[in-house]
Amino acid sequence: MIKIIKVTGSSLSPFFLSGEYVLVWRASRNFKAISPGDYVVFNHSQFGLLIKKVILNDPLGKYIETEGIHPDSLSAQKIGKIPYTDIVGKVLKRIHPKAS
Amino acid sequence: MSYKIIQSLDKFLRFPEAKAHCDVPCGIYDPISAQIDALTVVRMIDLMDGLTSGDEKTRKDFHNSMSRYVAVKEQHAEKAKHEIRVIWGDFIKDAHIETYPQLPGLVHKIMQLGSKCRQTADRDHGLALVAAINEFAEIFWAIKDVKIKKAKAPYAPALEMVYPDL
Repeated sequence: MIKIIKVTGSSLSPFFLSGEYVLVWRASRNFKAISPGDYVVFNHSQFGLLIKKVILNDPLGKYIETEGIHPDSLSAQKIGKIPYTDIVGKVLKRIHPKAS
Repeated sequence: MSYKIIQSLDKFLRFPEAKAHCDVPCGIYDPISAQIDALTVVRMIDLMDGLTSGDEKTRKDFHNSMSRYVAVKEQHAEKAKHEIRVIWGDFIKDAHIETYPQLPGLVHKIMQLGSKCRQTADRDHGLALVAAINEFAEIFWAIKDVKIKKAKAPYAPALEMVYPDL
């Protein structure tokens, strides 16, 4: 199932810009389909719905670790480990003003 | 797919918003993790020395212990680099570098020493890593306007460390 999600904030700039939309593949939360470098949307217990870049995928399939790419974004330390159950899905496509 | 169509739909459907946060007030940074990692590297080298001075090289226990010391040394040298990179990337700003122009060189030195500690079992490299990360900690706490104290770590290898004086 595909879900549309709006991106706010600038921690992934200049790759994702505040105000653009992403198509998220919900089935991919069961994965093996996630690799470091992918972008994922997930529910964070403290910070709510976040979009971040994957930096580590647990070989046992229990969690991922993520980070933003902007210097001011939350560090991987603070985001912590994201259980697979909290992943909404993997970003398949961006929909931003310049691309349309 | 058109951005404008999605944008119009958003006005009615209100798609969920995912935050690519950069403005959450968090600020939990501390070089102590990297300092402890560097100490662990020296401790592993010391344990390796202790093992090789014994007479057990033919026993499988020797190989088991040695493998474990090497693995932990590898892991903590890399983790020390990671912890410093996080502070460097997320906490340190241009203004800090203007005040402490030695910072980029120091961070680079820590990266190199961390690698040296993985490549070799030379205690001097471990001591240099501890010293460089302590120097980084000293600058970090100065940026935070927190006084520091120097004291020996309360566990082996009991090297002098920089701690915040709270």
